[in-house]
Amino acid sequence: MVVADSQSSDTGTILRVRGPLEFKCHLDSTDARLMHKVISRTFETLQSQVKSESCVLTVCDSPVIIWPNRGVYAIPEEITPNTLCEDIHQWIQSDEQEAAGKRSAKKKSKKSSAASVINLRLMMEATKTGRPLSAPILSRTVHKSHFLSTTFPVDCVVRTTVNETIKDAFERLLEALTHQLCEMEKVTLQHIKGTTLLVPQPLHFLLPEPKGLVTVVYPAGVPDSQLETQRKELHQQFELPDDWPYFRRANAYHFPNEPYKDGYLRNPHLGLTHPTLDNGKVYLVQGFYSYHHYMQDHVDDNGWGCAYRSLQTICSWFQQQGFVERAVPTHREIQQALLDVGDKQASFVGSRQWIGSIEVQVVLNQLLGVTSKIMFVSQGSELASKGRELANHFLTDGTPIMIGGGVLAHTILGVAWSETSGQIRYLILDPHYTGAEDSQVITDKGWCGWKGPDFWDQIAYYNLCLPQRPKVI
Amino acid sequence: MGRSYIVEEAVEGYLTKQCEQKAGPVTGLLIGQSSTQREFVVTATRTPQREEPLAAGDSPDKQWVTEHARQVSRMLPGGLSVLGVFIVTDIDAKDSLATLRKLVFAVENLISSERLWNPADDDVTDCVALHVNPKTRKTFCRTFDIKDPKSVAKPADWKYQSGVCSSWSTVSCSLSVDMLVPLPDDRTDLEDMDKCLKEGLKVWAHQLESAVCLIDGRKLSEDMELVGGQKRNVRQTYTAQLLITPDERRATDVVQRCGGSVSVRGAIHSRAYLHSNKPKAKLAEKLLKRDAVSTVATRAQMLLEELLTSDGESKGSGRDRPQRELFCLPHRIFCPVKASGPVCVCDYHFSDEGLSVVTDRLKEMLDIDAAEKDLDTRQETPAEVLEGEAAAEPTVETIEALEPKRNRYIGVAMATVVAFLATAASMLYLNDV
Repeated sequence: MVVADSQSSDTGTILRVRGPLEFKCHLDSTDARLMHKVISRTFETLQSQVKSESCVLTVCDSPVIIWPNRGVYAIPEEITPNTLCEDIHQWIQSDEQEAAGKRSAKKKSKKSSAASVINLRLMMEATKTGRPLSAPILSRTVHKSHFLSTTFPVDCVVRTTVNETIKDAFERLLEALTHQLCEMEKVTLQHIKGTTLLVPQPLHFLLPEPKGLVTVVYPAGVPDSQLETQRKELHQQFELPDDWPYFRRANAYHFPNEPYKDGYLRNPHLGLTHPTLDNGKVYLVQGFYSYHHYMQDHVDDNGWGCAYRSLQTICSWFQQQGFVERAVPTHREIQQALLDVGDKQASFVGSRQWIGSIEVQVVLNQLLGVTSKIMFVSQGSELASKGRELANHFLTDGTPIMIGGGVLAHTILGVAWSETSGQIRYLILDPHYTGAEDSQVITDKGWCGWKGPDFWDQIAYYNLCLPQRPKVI
Repeated sequence: MGRSYIVEEAVEGYLTKQCEQKAGPVTGLLIGQSSTQREFVVTATRTPQREEPLAAGDSPDKQWVTEHARQVSRMLPGGLSVLGVFIVTDIDAKDSLATLRKLVFAVENLISSERLWNPADDDVTDCVALHVNPKTRKTFCRTFDIKDPKSVAKPADWKYQSGVCSSWSTVSCSLSVDMLVPLPDDRTDLEDMDKCLKEGLKVWAHQLESAVCLIDGRKLSEDMELVGGQKRNVRQTYTAQLLITPDERRATDVVQRCGGSVSVRGAIHSRAYLHSNKPKAKLAEKLLKRDAVSTVATRAQMLLEELLTSDGESKGSGRDRPQRELFCLPHRIFCPVKASGPVCVCDYHFSDEGLSVVTDRLKEMLDIDAAEKDLDTRQETPAEVLEGEAAAEPTVETIEALEPKRNRYIGVAMATVVAFLATAASMLYLNDV
């Protein structure tokens, strides 16, 4: 079901090929065995297409076109089979390069730490050279039967090493393509029921190093809940612990420079420099979350919605790691949930009443089935001594924490703590921000940033809601 | 500001010859290429004789003229099209304008109704209506904008020049076709096959439209000019490559019931001619892609028309036992318009016909006197049904490749038109404008 790209972490560019491959055949019979034969035969045709000289890979946003089965012939003519993969970047025109002059140098250097991806499109050359081929033949078959017509979304990834030539890299890419077609055939045949066919969908997952990027083909339309056996096999194959859902669809790797469809910022904390404390260690939220704050989604909750937004950030975490499929709840849905459990009166729904950590715990349980621990401090100054507990939370559960006290609610995304000196810093995501999704502003102005113990109201009491991560795959 | 027509010198001689006809009015078609700045007329051809020729006072037979235009249009490679209609009559130019207008619109409507590709925004939509006075030999040239049904005649320039197309460029390619479409569950007769094939061709045309086009192995930007054609009598030929990718399909009804399927597999030679006035890569790509779609559609259409007239319904019920028929589509043959220029017209040839069928047809439709040795038959080879293919599916009863009876002269084509009269497309062109 899987191809692992086992290269070391000092790697060069990632080559990613995507493209639809047309899958069409006439199913003369609904007998399962005969159907399998026809489908296998059609896959053989796709295999030979991909291995033929007509197979073409075009580099997106560039004039570069490569024929991998013609001795890796490429145009423009400056590119030869011995050209290095990383040199292809020079040919790619991205919007980023055009705006490069306007951005600060600081920002640019941070971006280079992410793996660079060269996107390729899979195409077929329809024209032929050489001696003239024969004129077309029209064939008409009359038979009450079935017709299968769809496209398969090929999506193949290969991680190149530094100084790898395009000749070597593209040979590996071709192997990956043919392997993916084999996997697609297996998944397709496995999931045929009568005349229903499920489209095989490749997804990539980033496993802890050195395993790296791994591709899995899942049948479209079969929910994660029915694919647990497959995920168990994968966990065994890759020797992964059983307490993190590495292979749920929501955890598919998000390639850099691919925009998120929903428009929210993901993990704005990644752009920050972490504090260095004497003998200190940094403990952070694991995985991904979206930044929810005042004024988003056309809801004017300025002044009252901060806890709601923190709760939304937490819900987004559970959705993006694949623990729940439920979308992030709206203010109204949150209020309705509290009414449903009997925690509030009917007048609460549609109001601008604040909620606190207890309500956050209740809603997480009601809507997501997630349990949370509540931590209480009688005054804000005590938070300075909670380093060990917070660190442990991020180690074992890794979920964002909602903290409410005084008149404010915030989200804690991490803690920097020194066991010896007791120094502590808190990574805070502030839901009171009212501006646009500009990660530069958000980090520069501290809406997502490291704060000291004096950030808290030293006298007020605080409640913290620590959501527990379900230990499932 | 009116349109400007640059006309091949030989056309003047041809029109003069038509003036010497004793009988009634002579109509015909003007053939060439449009560009935004001017139009180029490469050749002209008179409407073929009917069995009972028109008398002096008769008005032209619109159906006959438009059917001729339809047949001629199929014989024009990319870059050439029917630009308009001419009439040689001693009726006054002003009075014959109404007739010309009817003919121009009817011709254009019929030809465009058969097209499977979408018109582009930068296409020229003017058609020419030329009146020639047989006594004085004077020409009156007008254009109509066929996008506007209420369009009025605008005056246009008509200038003769020698060697209009002698330095035109040719861009060509050999394109493989691999189409498979289902036939509907309960209707599998010829009209359904026609409809399904057209749908399949439209999808293929759409894929070609978004295909990446390389010219002489390079990807040129749209506005880049193709080099060459600047020296007279230096012929430039370019080879194109087309890279396609299928449209992504949303996986909703992946498997559907069907009554069978139709496939078209093989290769075609596609070609387009480009005027020598600084043609751009974008134009070459557009004209070549249109030609590719047209040539496949024409051949399929020709096959269907002949099956219809020769009563080619499938034999036997074929419902329970699958039945497969194989038909060889004709291959394309080119013939130069003039001995010296690069521009050719084309025709389609079934392998068991003699080449005289082609030369006869060129004479009837395009009034070209060609000898068999002038024909270029090397661009495509005839279709072959290989042994392996026929035996591919043992459960399928294969009827060996049928060669439908052929009689492709215009008289028979007219009978087919009558058969098609029930269809909407025909109703469209018969409506008076």
